[in-house]
Amino acid sequence: MPDPSAVTVERLKKRFGQRTAVDGLSFSVAAGEIYGLLGPNGAGKTTTLRVLAGLLRPTEGVARIDGVDVGSDPRQAQRHLGFLTGTTGLYGRLTAREVLVYFGTLQDMPRPRIAARIDELTAVLDLRAILDRRCEALSSGQKQRISVARAVIHDPPVLILDEPTVGLDVLASRFLREYIGAERARGKAVIFSTHYLAEAELLCDRIGLLYQGALLAEGRPRDLRAQAGDATSLEEAFLRLVTDLVAA
Amino acid sequence: MNLPHVSAVFRKELRETLRDRRTLTVMFLFPLVVYPLVSLLMAEVMAGKQATDEARTSHVALVDPDPASRATLAALLDKKGNGIEVTRDVSLAQATGLDVSNGLIDAVVEVAPEKTAAKAKAAGPLPVRIVYDETRPISDQAHDRVTKALDSVLPNGCFQSYAVTGASLATKTKVGGYVLSKILPLIVVIMTMLGAFYPAIDITAGERERGTLETLLSSPVQRFDLMTGKVLAVAALSLLTGVLNIVSMSLTVAEGARLAAGSPILAIPWPRAAATLLIVVPAAFLFGSVMVAIGAMARSFKEAQTLLMPVYLLCFTPSLVAGMADFRLTGLTMLVPGTNLTLLARDLMLGEAHLLATVIVMASTIGFGAVALAFAARLYDSERLLSSTDADLVSLSAWLRHLVSRPAAPGSPEATGAPPVPPSAGQAVALFGVAFVLWFFAFTWLQRWNLIPGLMISQWVGFLGLVWVYARLCRRPLGDVLVFRRPAPLALAGAACVGLSGWIILGILADKVMPPPREVVENIRNLIHPPGGSRSLALSVFALAVTPAICEEALFRGAILQGLRRQFSLPVSCLLTGILFGVMHGDVWRFVPTTILGVLLSWVALTSGSIIPSMLVHVLNNGVLIVLGYYGLDQAGDNLSGRASVLILGAAVIFMLGGLAAIRRAGRQTPAATGA
Repeated sequence: MPDPSAVTVERLKKRFGQRTAVDGLSFSVAAGEIYGLLGPNGAGKTTTLRVLAGLLRPTEGVARIDGVDVGSDPRQAQRHLGFLTGTTGLYGRLTAREVLVYFGTLQDMPRPRIAARIDELTAVLDLRAILDRRCEALSSGQKQRISVARAVIHDPPVLILDEPTVGLDVLASRFLREYIGAERARGKAVIFSTHYLAEAELLCDRIGLLYQGALLAEGRPRDLRAQAGDATSLEEAFLRLVTDLVAA
Repeated sequence: MNLPHVSAVFRKELRETLRDRRTLTVMFLFPLVVYPLVSLLMAEVMAGKQATDEARTSHVALVDPDPASRATLAALLDKKGNGIEVTRDVSLAQATGLDVSNGLIDAVVEVAPEKTAAKAKAAGPLPVRIVYDETRPISDQAHDRVTKALDSVLPNGCFQSYAVTGASLATKTKVGGYVLSKILPLIVVIMTMLGAFYPAIDITAGERERGTLETLLSSPVQRFDLMTGKVLAVAALSLLTGVLNIVSMSLTVAEGARLAAGSPILAIPWPRAAATLLIVVPAAFLFGSVMVAIGAMARSFKEAQTLLMPVYLLCFTPSLVAGMADFRLTGLTMLVPGTNLTLLARDLMLGEAHLLATVIVMASTIGFGAVALAFAARLYDSERLLSSTDADLVSLSAWLRHLVSRPAAPGSPEATGAPPVPPSAGQAVALFGVAFVLWFFAFTWLQRWNLIPGLMISQWVGFLGLVWVYARLCRRPLGDVLVFRRPAPLALAGAACVGLSGWIILGILADKVMPPPREVVENIRNLIHPPGGSRSLALSVFALAVTPAICEEALFRGAILQGLRRQFSLPVSCLLTGILFGVMHGDVWRFVPTTILGVLLSWVALTSGSIIPSMLVHVLNNGVLIVLGYYGLDQAGDNLSGRASVLILGAAVIFMLGGLAAIRRAGRQTPAATGA
């Protein structure tokens, strides 16, 4: 039985001034599960993930990472998660190894543990050829592999990935998907946000469809298709559900 | 050339730039405020220094064995206008260079017996030697004055009566230290600042621009730890720049002097130059913290540069003033950032630094740096950095309104035509900026042209008109902007007490903290009551008391204070408004008392919940001084005994405290009091 307490979001609200970006959102992600957060631009995906990553404070509601309340103790929550976005930057004038050591230190990892973890990640993510090169000299795919390594250097139980495949070519995207799948197999809870619905269908165990800051529908990909009147794809299901909502 | 394309690009770039409030403020408003302020400050300080130098009397000892010759020389030197006083202290009748070195006398004017005899034989000019210390400004001034006084004496045949030679007591090392003390402190402070400039931008705005900020902030590191690390890195680079400058500048001066003179005319006091390194550590920390804090506000490298340039100039000014004005490192000067470091570096180089002053300067600088660091840590909050966004500014009118008000969010009361939102701190600062620009570039010119009409136009059309325009742009009633409400009678009574006693306390304070030069006091007296009595008392009271009490209060205690109160606590709002009020008066010597008066008026307005009591305090404060000046009683206090002064001050303090207590009590009974 997967542990249901890896990520819990309850009636989460986030306002910026008078604009409500997230409006009473609730969902949970179990350990060993990939949860897809899908929706159009401005649906509140990035805001939700930033709240979960301890970057933004919730206006109302609760978000817990591995049992830690993000709102009241964001630093402690950040020890239990790895956060990665498609636009995550790396320090161009540092080598990949220096970046990993830096973030490992910020996670309070002892130096031998960091070195051992870099060795593990070098094997898993194929970093050997790029580890001692400056990040500014790396390709987009190579940079994203280093970013993944940076996000998981402390081997967190929860991974938050905000459109991690943006700008990557087919091979790099597939490599990343395979890695995420492997992490699920290791018992990690993964929250995955993407624009590519086909990618989400391929990877996610469950999907939450986000629209105007609230959940429009939630379930396994095939259940969502059924819910939308046996849609042939997740994209079609999403469009039908949104159309029904607007019409109502 | 495709003109439509050029035009399209031109319009787009202009529109995009004009919609960026911060760039716009820094690009236009800030230079218009900061540069006049800096020039005003420099001019005031230099004028004050010149007045002080001229007013100072040079004390010289005259050593001449021939009584007749001595009497002639003493009469020449003592002549009014020379600024010289020949000492009558018998213990200094045979003064030597040692007495000059010890500071007992500024210079010794010597006529040797053999020289007197030689003069009698040759009938030529009498050789006179001035023993002085060129590295002491007072002694150097005495040398210049004696030389000038004796050189100007021409007998009937137009031959000079005296052949004056100077003999400086300063050793080559002392001269080297003196030369370095004139240039090194300022350069070290400026270069230390410059050393912090780009690293501070790179690690703050650069981090944000390169997209690494989100990555970093998702790590479990406390913001204060993060900023401390960043500030220390910037400070280390800044420190390196400062040290390199001290070493390089010392070597350059020594070598430059050798090349110019062909032989070494000065020597570098290396231990003192090394001691000067002491200031680089707190300087690097202070400038590193300030620049990192400013950089943390910026969204991009370009914006950080735009923001930091005026700050650089503002940080640079106190050091420049210190370098030029040659202040002594005492009292409040020890606490003025930049100025204190420059003066300490000078004293260290001259070997004149005192331990207590050194400790106070170092501690206060580190203290200021720590405050800036705490501020930077507060600014480096992911909530602010990741959610800040500029408003939807489309039309020119929206942009104009945006300049003075917060942008209206879609669906907000402003956007839907409902009652407008209350004032903001941004509006208050923008309003002050506009008022300052008007004051500096137009009003001062108007007042120089003709004081009373110029003052009337500046105050009624300028300040009050500006508040009216502001109220119109914000779509708020003028009475609402001014907080023009009927106050409680008790608040009015309290305000009367404060107004009648404040001028005494502030006047004594001004004399104690920063006594203005005599010329400045005379100018103010002439302004209040022109010589010859050409202005009636009623006109003076209306122009100089009633008018500012209404118009300045409308601007400062109305629009500006209410805006600042939205964002800051009551004490901070009062302090900020007081400082802006002090700055607007554009007088260095009156800055401290005017600022305190501004703080007091702000407290009265907020506590009573109405602008009318602060207007009453203002009109009484100015009015009493005008009436006293009119009847020639304003200098009566100068002749009072110490005991009488203390009694009057004590009575004034009691009167003021009573007034403040009454206002506070009245405010507690008024729901709208204390603002917010």
